[in-house]
Amino acid sequence: MQAMRLAFGIKVWLGLVVLALLLGGCDRALAPKETVRLNLYQQWQLQPGDQLQGHAVLGGLGDISIQLNGQALYAPFAGQARQDDRQCLVFSSPDVPAYLFRLCGLSDRRLGEHPQGAVIGKAAVVHIATLRRQPDGKWAIVEPSKPILERFLTKS
Amino acid sequence: MVQAVRRSSGLKYLLAGGAIVLAIGVIADWPGELPIALSTKKPTTLPCQQVIAEKSFLSRPQLSKFLTIPEGSTQAQVQAVMQEPFCQLPDLQVRPGVTARRLAYPLEFDPKTWLVVLYEGESYAGYAFSFRH
Repeated sequence: MQAMRLAFGIKVWLGLVVLALLLGGCDRALAPKETVRLNLYQQWQLQPGDQLQGHAVLGGLGDISIQLNGQALYAPFAGQARQDDRQCLVFSSPDVPAYLFRLCGLSDRRLGEHPQGAVIGKAAVVHIATLRRQPDGKWAIVEPSKPILERFLTKS
Repeated sequence: MVQAVRRSSGLKYLLAGGAIVLAIGVIADWPGELPIALSTKKPTTLPCQQVIAEKSFLSRPQLSKFLTIPEGSTQAQVQAVMQEPFCQLPDLQVRPGVTARRLAYPLEFDPKTWLVVLYEGESYAGYAFSFRH
């Protein structure tokens, strides 16, 4: 009787360990938690996410600020949403090499892989910076076109 | 009596198992991320705008040579080590007035992976591997 209970207990624990490992594996694969460190070409002292006299800096050089009033922001292409070290979301797509989009001010941020048109977050005001990779590996803030920003605002 | 003991020990296992599953759920940051992970469908394939060379695959030596070419090189320099691309993706205007052309090269040793190369004007801007095709 004791032996049976022990065997059953071991089976339960083994099952749970396997389940935990599987969940851990899925979590890592689908929702990357590592932060992105963007090595910017234009190094301004103040960046979004900094504090100035106790007040939060929301936008900086190159940010286009758009009033969303709590509405959703959509993945402009199939791609990946990660977060940077200032809690902004960094969106990249293998279909658009050499470019990144930094999205600050989002609530309900959704990290991980997304199909085109998926909701990646919501915001009262979103601050979008468009970054282009330089030959030295740094990211330069560049002027975005209207059509590229419109892709974030409409479900495509 | 024996029945009652068996039933209560079964209940204990059930409660313990439930508590552990709940703990795993909390550790995995549910409901913040897990439903998103579960609801994420495989991204859809971006259609080619125009197929250029239907049976074109990039060989391993070609890829090795390509990866040594610095960004900012001319399109001619890049294409000297490549063959014709499989297809061209729809043009984009990421920056105003600058057309981004994107060419796709499936890899010979892994045809479901495409090398996507982006050009702006005559300049090679960058590449990425797309794993979904």
